[in-house]
Amino acid sequence: MSKLDVKLKRRTALKIGALTAAAVAVGVPMGSLKEASVKAAGTESSESKQLGFMYDQTKCINCKLCAKACKETNKWEPGAEWRKVYVAEPASNKVYLSMSCNHCADPACMAVCPVKAYTKRDKDGIVAHNTKKCVGCAYCLYACPYHAPQFVKSGTGAVTKCSFCAEIQDQGGKPACVSACPTGALTYGDITELRKTPGAVAPEVNGLPPASITNPSLVIIPKV
Amino acid sequence: MHLHWQWLIVIYLFLGGLGAGAYLTSYAAGRGWLGNSPALQRAGYFIAAPIVAFGTVLLVFDLGQGLKKPWLLIGLLSNFSSVMTWGVYILALFICVGLVVAFFVWKKKAIPGALEHLGALLAFSTCAYTGLLVAVVEAIPFWNTYVMPVLFVVSAISTGLSITVLVGNIIDKGVHADEYKISKLHFCLVSVEIILVAFIFSVANAGGGVKAASAAQAISGGLALWFWLFLVVLGLVVPLLISAFAVRKLGRSAHTGHALHAAAGSGNTVALEQGQGLANVLLLSDALVVLGGFVLRYVVIFAALPIWNGTLM
Repeated sequence: MSKLDVKLKRRTALKIGALTAAAVAVGVPMGSLKEASVKAAGTESSESKQLGFMYDQTKCINCKLCAKACKETNKWEPGAEWRKVYVAEPASNKVYLSMSCNHCADPACMAVCPVKAYTKRDKDGIVAHNTKKCVGCAYCLYACPYHAPQFVKSGTGAVTKCSFCAEIQDQGGKPACVSACPTGALTYGDITELRKTPGAVAPEVNGLPPASITNPSLVIIPKV
Repeated sequence: MHLHWQWLIVIYLFLGGLGAGAYLTSYAAGRGWLGNSPALQRAGYFIAAPIVAFGTVLLVFDLGQGLKKPWLLIGLLSNFSSVMTWGVYILALFICVGLVVAFFVWKKKAIPGALEHLGALLAFSTCAYTGLLVAVVEAIPFWNTYVMPVLFVVSAISTGLSITVLVGNIIDKGVHADEYKISKLHFCLVSVEIILVAFIFSVANAGGGVKAASAAQAISGGLALWFWLFLVVLGLVVPLLISAFAVRKLGRSAHTGHALHAAAGSGNTVALEQGQGLANVLLLSDALVVLGGFVLRYVVIFAALPIWNGTLM
């Protein structure tokens, strides 16, 4: 009888060991994945240039010309919305936020995309999405805290998003949204320079998600 | 904010775990951990690869380009930082190995040891992958916990054991398994699952913000019926009670191994009827565990709320 007890105990110990091993096996890749992405973010921000948007809440008049210009220039498919002007509640407070893809230093979309449809351009940090590679799994829609990737399944069935007007910029032009803004509320430039602007903060105001997730290339001058 | 993963993703995650769990069940039975049961040693190996393959095909239907431009799917193997890419490798390899193992079992030949072990490793990876897929998404705080993959693994093994017992009953009718050992394992798995579900949902509920809102959808919101009735009561508590009852009932005759078989062979009509009744209740419990595993994934996927819902304060 005592022999049986010992055996059972040993078996229980083995079971516990196996469960622990299983938990570790599951946990380790997650930890290393995060570490790798943090490392990637660190090198990118220090070595290569990163363009970003600056949005001044005190200047915006909610005319939505930025979104309109983006739509006309980039011809969104019906149902997609590359740039949007958000309005805070209550609307009488006149607090707005014009936002598109933030071309993050550590893009979550790029990390989860199984087909490498996302690439980050070395010369300016623009997060480009290649619709021709996209299989439409929508994983990036879950990963992006800013809802930048747009997916219309009944349409093309591929993800599209703000390209920072990369083609226009390559020819020396400005992004359509920035050109269209009549009050200068929306500007763009090197993000390290933009961050030095007096009053500019990381986009964590107004209930936006923590910037630590993706390190977005956007600064806001908040309306107090 | 509209999120896009729907029913097909739920079924796909469920079938991935179910098939992998079935493989692990037959693997365990083959090592003698579930008593001497020829049915369990075969059934799981037969169904594992087809179940996972069917789930994987559903994924193709869910993709925006799956049927339009299927050649793009080859790109799914390209980004090694993506958990989905890992999954595609794991699933593809598991389906291949699973089919070869099933072929050996079908031909009644000995399965090469290395192949069988590799299959078990891939099966475990498949279970873990289905949970890891959602756990790494930081923008969905409810998913973003290390406990989620552990829950998916335990649930996968639990549903896999159940489906293997159910199928084993069909393909090897009359060959009795060791209900005592299986009930004991069921009891352990479902207990752990209950602890994990309670842990995940109560931590999320206490976590505030979007996390709490996600948990609230399940506990008191639109998913409450699914959560309480189909997952907690039918999928967890009832199977827990049934397995606990079976363990107590069969415990006395456990040393003889095939308890119900012994009852059936004893010629005692009362014992026989009781044994058959218990066997039927155990099968019902197995069906409920499978249902619960499906509902678990349904609730987890549909309770997902993004970290930012697109409104400004």
